[in-house]
Amino acid sequence: MADECILKVENIKKAFGKRQVLKGVSLSIRKGELKVLMGPSGAGKSTLLQCINFLVTPDEGEVWLEGSHINRARKHDLYAYRQQVGMIFQDFNLFDHLSALDNIEIGLARVKGLDKKAARERAMVELERVGLSDHAHHYPAQLSGGQKQRVSIARALAMDPKVMLLDEPTSALDPELIGEVLAVIRNLVANGMTMIMATHQIGFSRALADEIIFMEDGQVVEQGPPVKMFSDAVCERTRAFCAKISELYGEAF
Amino acid sequence: MPEGVVAVITAFPYLVQGSLVTVAVVLGAMVSGLVLGVLLAVGQVYGQLWVRLLVRVYVWFFRGVPLLVLLFLFYFGLFSVLDINLSAFTVAIIVLGLISAAYQSQIFRGAILSLPDGQFKAARALGMSDLKAISFVILPQALRFSIPGWSNEYSIVLKDSAVVFALGVAEIMARTHFVATRTYQYLPLYLAAGFLYLVLTFVGVKALRMLEDKVRIPGYSRPGVG
Repeated sequence: MADECILKVENIKKAFGKRQVLKGVSLSIRKGELKVLMGPSGAGKSTLLQCINFLVTPDEGEVWLEGSHINRARKHDLYAYRQQVGMIFQDFNLFDHLSALDNIEIGLARVKGLDKKAARERAMVELERVGLSDHAHHYPAQLSGGQKQRVSIARALAMDPKVMLLDEPTSALDPELIGEVLAVIRNLVANGMTMIMATHQIGFSRALADEIIFMEDGQVVEQGPPVKMFSDAVCERTRAFCAKISELYGEAF
Repeated sequence: MPEGVVAVITAFPYLVQGSLVTVAVVLGAMVSGLVLGVLLAVGQVYGQLWVRLLVRVYVWFFRGVPLLVLLFLFYFGLFSVLDINLSAFTVAIIVLGLISAAYQSQIFRGAILSLPDGQFKAARALGMSDLKAISFVILPQALRFSIPGWSNEYSIVLKDSAVVFALGVAEIMARTHFVATRTYQYLPLYLAAGFLYLVLTFVGVKALRMLEDKVRIPGYSRPGVG
């Protein structure tokens, strides 16, 4: 069922004080799709991603996962929903007091309730998948940025998420480390993971995204397949933005 | 041998027994203060408005009223009004514990607030309840960072514990006072008492420093020096 809608988000609104950060954003994503959120900083991409799994509580708006409405007021439902939505942060947010392996294990043991041995085995599999099994006992402070982000992806994957939200996963990384993280994400795409990703990696998005969603000022300005968005975006603002970041990152298209 | 030295040598085993009582009072107070202090800190950081207000009133009260007043208030006042019959030793632990909880809560609160916001977020994103995130992600880190402040609090409670002699608890101070008023060897005996407190401070602070090094997060917090 390739066109099965996994996640649907409708009319998300959020204000911080007087500033309306999200002015009613809707989107939906089908199984195996990669949707890329683009737009200038302050557009609301990060807030939108955090509203989708209610790390930030939206003022208005509803979310459906596989057709079932998420009642965020019921804690039990909320926690169960978050387990199924993997989140990757710009600044990794690995648990600093735990080794790479324990970072992955903790969700399995404390949230999924796996026993110690099963959790350890599964965590090891996920570490291997991101190519870090030889760093299992390193602590976050002993890992490079790229390695940290790969561990955080492994941590999310271990929970068997139905959809993953990636909030600028490479923008805190040194240029030479971006490649290793993108390679892992590319692998996820190849394996059919459903993902919504905020990023400015144009080459990556152009090659892999099913749809680019351009946001500005808390709204979706324009959306469409990468070919259309990068070559003949209707909105002038979208064109200008794409031109600027491709100039910045030197990625011709 | 000078009389003073004789007095100290004679009284020393008796005073050392008193230091065991002191240690028991201090440990009891520190541990109960730890448990209550963690709860207060978590309540003040993550609790609803009424919880936060309640914690603030608690901290304000127990940091604001002198120890001696609180000891008398509880021992001669509250517990006798409520007709609860507790030994002076128990009351000493309770009162020192309640006060220490107020101070400790602020040590833990500071440590919790010093953690990056993303730690709590990432824990919740995995599907942890707030309680699980606090127990498995926030507190294990915050408590580590609290050890230096906690060590300070230990040395303060240790010295405060001398005041409980006013209730007649047979700790170092009470025993020294008892012997001194009978032998008139005030100077050598109080020097001996001071020495015992110094030893206890040294041992406790040293032990906490060792604990700090033992639970240090590799690559993250710096090793302690000295």
